[in-house]
Amino acid sequence: MKSPKEQPVHTRREFLRTSILGGALASSVPLFLEKTFLCLDTMAAATTGQITTGKDGTILVVLQLAGGNDGINTLVPYADDAYYKARPRIAIAGKDVLRINPYAGFHPKLSGLRSLYAEGHLGMVQGVGYPNPNRSHFRSTEIWQTASDAEKNVTDGWLGRYFDNCCSGADPATVGIAIAGQTPQAFSSATPKGIAFSNPSQYRYMAEAASEPSTADQFMRVMNQPDEGHFSLSENAGGSIGMIAGPPDKEGSTVEFLQRTALEARMSSDKILEITRKSKSAVNYPTNQLGNNLNLVARLIAGGLPTRVYYVSQGGFDTHANQLPAHDRLMGDLDASLSAFVADLKAQGNLDRVMVVSFSEFGRRVAENASGGTDHGAAAPLFVLGGGVKPGLYGTYPSLTDLHDGDLRFSTDFRSVYATVLERWLGVPSEVVLGKKYPLLPFV
Amino acid sequence: MFSPLPEKHWDRVRAAHLLNRAGFGGTPTEIDRLVALGPDRAVDSILNAEPDDEFFPPPSMVEPAARFAFKQREKAAVTEEGKKELRRQLGELDRLSMLDLRLWWLNRMRYTTDPLREKVTLFWHGHFATSNQKVNDPWMMWVQNETLRHGALGKFPALLKEMSRDPAMIRWLDLGQSRREHPNENFARELMELFSLGEGHYNEKDVQESARAFTGYRIEAETGTFRFKAKEFDAGQKVFFGQTGLLTSDQIIDLITAQPQCARFIGRKLWKFFVSDDPSEEALSGIQQLLYSNGYDIAATLRTVFRSEEFYAPKVIHSQIKSPVQWLIQTTKMLETPLPDAGVIENSMSSLGQVLFAPPNVKGWDGGRAWISASSLLYRYNFAAYLLSGKARILGGGGTKVAVIPLGQIAPAGIRTTPDALLSPISFRIFNVTVPEKQEGTYLGYLAAHPLPYTDNTVRDLMQFMMGTPEYQLN
Repeated sequence: MKSPKEQPVHTRREFLRTSILGGALASSVPLFLEKTFLCLDTMAAATTGQITTGKDGTILVVLQLAGGNDGINTLVPYADDAYYKARPRIAIAGKDVLRINPYAGFHPKLSGLRSLYAEGHLGMVQGVGYPNPNRSHFRSTEIWQTASDAEKNVTDGWLGRYFDNCCSGADPATVGIAIAGQTPQAFSSATPKGIAFSNPSQYRYMAEAASEPSTADQFMRVMNQPDEGHFSLSENAGGSIGMIAGPPDKEGSTVEFLQRTALEARMSSDKILEITRKSKSAVNYPTNQLGNNLNLVARLIAGGLPTRVYYVSQGGFDTHANQLPAHDRLMGDLDASLSAFVADLKAQGNLDRVMVVSFSEFGRRVAENASGGTDHGAAAPLFVLGGGVKPGLYGTYPSLTDLHDGDLRFSTDFRSVYATVLERWLGVPSEVVLGKKYPLLPFV
Repeated sequence: MFSPLPEKHWDRVRAAHLLNRAGFGGTPTEIDRLVALGPDRAVDSILNAEPDDEFFPPPSMVEPAARFAFKQREKAAVTEEGKKELRRQLGELDRLSMLDLRLWWLNRMRYTTDPLREKVTLFWHGHFATSNQKVNDPWMMWVQNETLRHGALGKFPALLKEMSRDPAMIRWLDLGQSRREHPNENFARELMELFSLGEGHYNEKDVQESARAFTGYRIEAETGTFRFKAKEFDAGQKVFFGQTGLLTSDQIIDLITAQPQCARFIGRKLWKFFVSDDPSEEALSGIQQLLYSNGYDIAATLRTVFRSEEFYAPKVIHSQIKSPVQWLIQTTKMLETPLPDAGVIENSMSSLGQVLFAPPNVKGWDGGRAWISASSLLYRYNFAAYLLSGKARILGGGGTKVAVIPLGQIAPAGIRTTPDALLSPISFRIFNVTVPEKQEGTYLGYLAAHPLPYTDNTVRDLMQFMMGTPEYQLN
C-alpha cells in the first residue's frame, strides 16, 4: 500500500495542468470555468516571480459609512447662518472649516481629502438621497444596497445585478470582493457571486484541523473538482439510492453548481493568499480597520487580481449623543485611510484605474438634538475619489431652511451616482442593473 | 393526486430522507428506528411527536413591564448622561437577550422531541420574515416565535389572522401607525404579495380597501400586547375581491384564503421548502388541491406529502442544499455533540447567511443556491473541521475548545478492524446515501494506508474529508 503521503498527490501546478487543462474538460464545464482556469493558470505562472500589475480594467471601491454619516458636518455650509442656528453646540466654526468655496468646506479633519480635492482627484456629490426617505438604518441601507424605490422590496443587490448581467465570462468568485465578515446585500442575487472575508488568512481551507494536514489538503482538492464524474443517477433494483445530482437546469445540476463553487473558492483562495503573502505596501497606512482593509484592497489590486469591485466599510457613524469628538475621530480615520490608499495606488501606478465611491444610509437631521448629537436624517453628500474623477462639486447643496420634516431635501438621486459609475466607469449599460435610466453626472 | 410510496421501497435512505426533510436529521440509530416502524407508522411518529414545551422555558428577556419601567425612568432622568446610561443599559440587555433567544431556538431545534414542529416554525419564520433589526424588542420576537410554533401545524387562515395581531408583525409592517384617516398600506400589501397570493393576483384597489380593514391595530406599551383601538378603525363599507360590505380584517383574510391561488402560493412554498425547488405542475396542483380541500390543514397536508412517492423520488433525495441552520443542527445531531458556544454560533450564522430573527428583508431567505458563495462554502468546510477537531483557531477564534466528538460511540472498536467495516457506517452516517464507487475507492485508499485498528485521528480525519465536499451540503 502507498503511504498516506503518496495518496492522491498533485502539486498545485500539476493539478491545474493534469486534472483540468491537460485532461479533457468535461463537456458540461461551462465556458466561464474554462476561462477561469486559463486565467488563474496564467496568474499562477506569473506569481512564481514578481507580482504583476498588468490588468487594465477599471476598478470600483464602494465605501460604506455605516450608521448614517452627518453630511452637514462633513461638507460644512459655514457661510449659512441657518447652520449655526440649527446647531448651536455642534456646529464647526467657520475659521476651522477647510473651505473649498464661499459657501462650504470640509470638516477640519479632512485635510488629506482637501489636498486631493485641490490636486484634482476628488469630487463631492451634494444632497444625495431618494424620494420618501426612510429613517430606519436597516431599511434605508437596504434601499441603497438594492437601488430600489423606497416603496418597493427588492432582494437583489445592485452590484449583484451588475455581476449577473455584465460580467459573463468573469470568474464568479473574484468578480467582487467584500472585506467583511458577511457578504453585503449589494452583492446578493439568486446565484451569489463575489466573496467576502474579513481576513485573507481565514479565506482558505483549514487543512491543519486534521491530524494529517497534507492529506486533508489533497482530499479537499480531489473531492472538489468538477471532473470527478462521481455523480451519476443510480437506482438499484432494490430501490437503494446512491448519490444523485439534483435536477439539472441551465447552470447544471445542484452538485455541479457546488463543485464549481468549491473550485472557484479554492482557486481564488490560493491566489489571494499568494498575493497577500508577497505584496507589500509602498506607504504606511493608519492602524484602524478601514486603513487595514484599504491596505488589503491595494495589495490585491497590485497583485493583479481581475476583480472589478471591492467593498469596504467604516462603522460608528450613528452619532446620537456627544457627537463632536466621535465624529472628529471618524473623519480623521477616514481621511488618513483614504489618503494612504490614494498614495499607495499612485505609487503602484494604478490610481487612474481606481474609483472610490462612498455612501451612507442617510445623513443626519439639520438640527442637533438635546444630547449634543444628531438623529437620523435624509440627504447627504458623498465622495467620489480617484485618478479618473473630474474634481469639483456636483449637484446643489440642499437648503438648510426649506426642509422636509426637519430633513434636507435631496437634490440628486443616489441612483444617478450608480448609473454614472456603471456607464462611465465600469462601461456597462446602467438600465439592466437599475431597471431604468437615471440622469448621469459629469464626475467621470 | 399523490400515490403512496410502496412499502417494499421503505429503506434506510428513505427513512433518513424523511428525518432530514421533516426535521433536522438523525443518527443511524434513529434512522433504523424509523425503518423498523414502516412508512405509515414512521410518518405518524413524526406528526404525533411528544410536545416539548416543558423542556424549553422562555429565555430571559426584558419583558414589557420592565421595558416600560425603563422608559419611564429614562423620561424621569434629570441629566442627558443619566438618560443615555439607561438607554445603554437597555440596549445591552436587548443585545444579550437576542443572543440568548437565538441560542434558545437553535437548542430547541437540536434537542426537541418534536422536530417537525420546529422545522415548520422555521418555515413560517422565513415566510413571515420579521426582523428584530426593525422590531427592536427580543420579547416580541419570542412571542411571535411561540405564535408560529403553536400555529405551525394548524390551519393557515387561523395562523394568518394571529399574525395580523402579532405585536412584532404590527411593528414590522407599520400597522401600529395605521389610522382611520390615513391607513398604512404596508401590511395589506405584504399580506397579499408575500403571505398569501403572490404578485399579480390582486390590484392596488384591493390593497387600499383591505388596508382600511386593518386600521386600529395597536400595541399596548405597558403589556406589549395587541389592542384594538375602535376609534381608529375604519368601519365603513369596503369593496374587496368582488365583495361589498362592512368588512373586518378577519373577513378580508377569509376572502383571501378563499382564492384557490392562495393554496397554490402556500403549496408552492411548502413544496420548495420540504420537497424540491422546482415542483412539477402535477405536484403543484396536487398540493394546491390538498390544501384547498382540507381547509389549509398543514399537518394533514404534510402527512400526505411525507407518505407520497413523489417525496421519495430519486431526483428529490439528496438534491436540496441545506440551509445554514439545517446544516448546523443536522451536523451536531449527526456528530452527537452539543452546539458550539454562543459567540461561535453568532459569527458562523452571519458568515453563512442565516441569522435567526434577522432575515435579510421582507421576502425572507432566498434559499437554494443563494445559500452558497465561494466564501460561505469554504466556511462550511472549515466549520465542519472546527466541530470535529475542537480547535478554536480554525474559525479564527481563540479560547474555548468545542466539545469532543464521541468517536468511541460513532466508531466503536468493532468497526475499526477493516477499511470496509469502517467506511460503510461512517459514510452512511454522514451522507445518508450510498457513496458511489469512485469516491468510495478514494476513501478506501486512504484507510488502507493506515494501520489497524483505526485510531481516533484516522476516523476523525476521514470524517473531515467527507464533510468538506459538495455532497455534504446536500439533503
